Amino acid sequence: MTVSAKALAQVHPEAHEHDHEAELRKEHLMLDPKPRGEMNALVMEAMLTTSWKFWAVAGLMALVTVVGLFGMWGYSISEGMYTASVNRPMYWSYFLVHTVFWIGISHAGTFVSALLRVFRAEFRRPFTRAAELMTTFALAQAGIHIFAHMGRVWLAYWMFPIPTQRLIWPNLHSPLMWDFLAINTYLLSSTMYLFLPLIPDLAMARDRSTGWRKSVYRVLALGFRGTESEWTHLRIALNIFAFAILPVMFSVHTIVSWDFAAAMRPGWSSTIFGPYFVVGALQSGVSAVAMVVITVRATMKNMTYFVRPEHFDALGKLMLIISMAWAYFFFNDYMVQWYGGDSFTDSLLHFHEAGPGGWVWFLMLITNILVPWLVLWNKQWRRNPWILFTVGLLANVGMWAERFIIVPVSLQINRVPFMWGHGVKIFRETFPYVSVEIPIFIGSVAFFVLLYMLASKFIPLVPVWEVQEGQMAHSIRRYGKEPVITVAELE
Amino acid sequence: MTTQEKNLLLAVFEDIDPAAHAVDSLRALGVADAQVTVISGTPITEAMMGRKPQWSNVARFALGGAAAGMGLGIFLAFGTPSLYPVYVGGQPLIPVPPTIVVLFETTMLVMLISTFLGVFLDSRFPNFTPMEYVPEISDGRIALLIECAPELEKKVEAAMQTQGAESIRRAQAEVV
Repeated sequence: MTVSAKALAQVHPEAHEHDHEAELRKEHLMLDPKPRGEMNALVMEAMLTTSWKFWAVAGLMALVTVVGLFGMWGYSISEGMYTASVNRPMYWSYFLVHTVFWIGISHAGTFVSALLRVFRAEFRRPFTRAAELMTTFALAQAGIHIFAHMGRVWLAYWMFPIPTQRLIWPNLHSPLMWDFLAINTYLLSSTMYLFLPLIPDLAMARDRSTGWRKSVYRVLALGFRGTESEWTHLRIALNIFAFAILPVMFSVHTIVSWDFAAAMRPGWSSTIFGPYFVVGALQSGVSAVAMVVITVRATMKNMTYFVRPEHFDALGKLMLIISMAWAYFFFNDYMVQWYGGDSFTDSLLHFHEAGPGGWVWFLMLITNILVPWLVLWNKQWRRNPWILFTVGLLANVGMWAERFIIVPVSLQINRVPFMWGHGVKIFRETFPYVSVEIPIFIGSVAFFVLLYMLASKFIPLVPVWEVQEGQMAHSIRRYGKEPVITVAELE
Repeated sequence: MTTQEKNLLLAVFEDIDPAAHAVDSLRALGVADAQVTVISGTPITEAMMGRKPQWSNVARFALGGAAAGMGLGIFLAFGTPSLYPVYVGGQPLIPVPPTIVVLFETTMLVMLISTFLGVFLDSRFPNFTPMEYVPEISDGRIALLIECAPELEKKVEAAMQTQGAESIRRAQAEVV
């Protein structure tokens, strides 16, 4: 027997420490600072570099928007609401599914930006703007579906709090007016919240552009220079917004849920619907943020510096926690009604999982619970952009399915038994020849993507000043031999 | 571009530390804090520069907006049904739960709009008149905009140079 002896590899403690420090810097954006001018150049280059692929995709999205969204919406206006699957007893139908879906997506921006700002979660910094943009654009899509559902959209001003010729005011106590107030409050607030932290980056873009861009940025930057007082006003305003917009965010989806819960009907009349809807919104919203961040990193130049696996990891953890919270609320709502033994509720619950749309109910549970729980516990899988994107996409499919169960499926066994299942039948028998809702929804997805693509070429998608502020606060400190990350309180 | 005739100097520093020391030097020369404006591309706090906190009315605008929003909510929730009472289904004319919703939303909406406008008013936005500024600031430089008496100008320049200013110039409007 031959025995070979090798010398043990020499472990140099100092080299090990340097390796660890280098790993920390590679892992964390906050520990890997670049000069501000260089970061500005990276962001500007990402914004100004556009390939033919970008325009090809943008052109396709524009085409789908024109045909699917505006074309089919125009068709429904000219032909009448019979072109949609809105019929008794399913008056809300798919339009409301899509409205709630987009409002859910819109919660991501506020959650990621405001809540994580309040809790000083540092990983938020490079993608707060990407998330805030989602809020504004998603709310615009939600509004489109509300207007499309109105039919006579030119009479939308009847919702505004102005009296008619008979001096009768809109009934502000009506649940649909709660929506009007809440969604408009959220849309205006989130747009202002998007714009305020954008001002310093617009000033940066102004300083580094020429031609028409410089003229536009000069106007939009409002003359911002970065004086102490300007920063102070901005900091105070952002703090007020971060704290105040959170209850507004919670109120929006809670009020949307009350549209259902205030009705005295099985399946909807639930005291837990408010938080259940909010958590559902976060489920779809945070998943959508992950998808957007991954797409931005993959398609835009220089984004690998700003968006790193640590961000996927953090978003993956958030998605997992929110998925657990959603499951908790779903089963809490379900269990009480199931165990309550009310025969009408039993019929409805049975219809959910064994009716014509039963497969959607199982799809909802698989994509919202099973997939995230099986995948996101694993750190390596969380950090893989392909896997995280897929989980995020499935979660959004699942959340669409959830709204589908709540609105058309639940509505179609309302009151008159001969109409039960009517909504699903209409959808199956006529799609895609008559029902305009699905093409309008696909068009709105394309419109959302198009708006996002155009915005990515026009406004700095990474809030550079926020990233630099975070990098100023972070450092590596040694405890004995161990380099650890420390964060200073700069404000 | 027009050159300012005032005794305004713009000293540009590469980093916070020399800029903070320069503020101390200016004080030693008798330049009041109010005559110095710190300009930066990243929010550096007054404490970092050893200066007093800036005054801001933004929070007051927010409070005022909240009060105005509450007033608007009261008008919509209490006033409009009283102007033309329509009783529906035996429900009270002014039910409590929906009133809370209306009051909350209008209060928050007007409060946030006021906060937003407060930033504009306090910062005097938009301001497209010539500004004392250099684009290098948004690339990470820190500038001190100093208003000083003519007889102090040379001393101020010398002090800024001693503290390591990258450039000292008469303030100009460079944002075009």
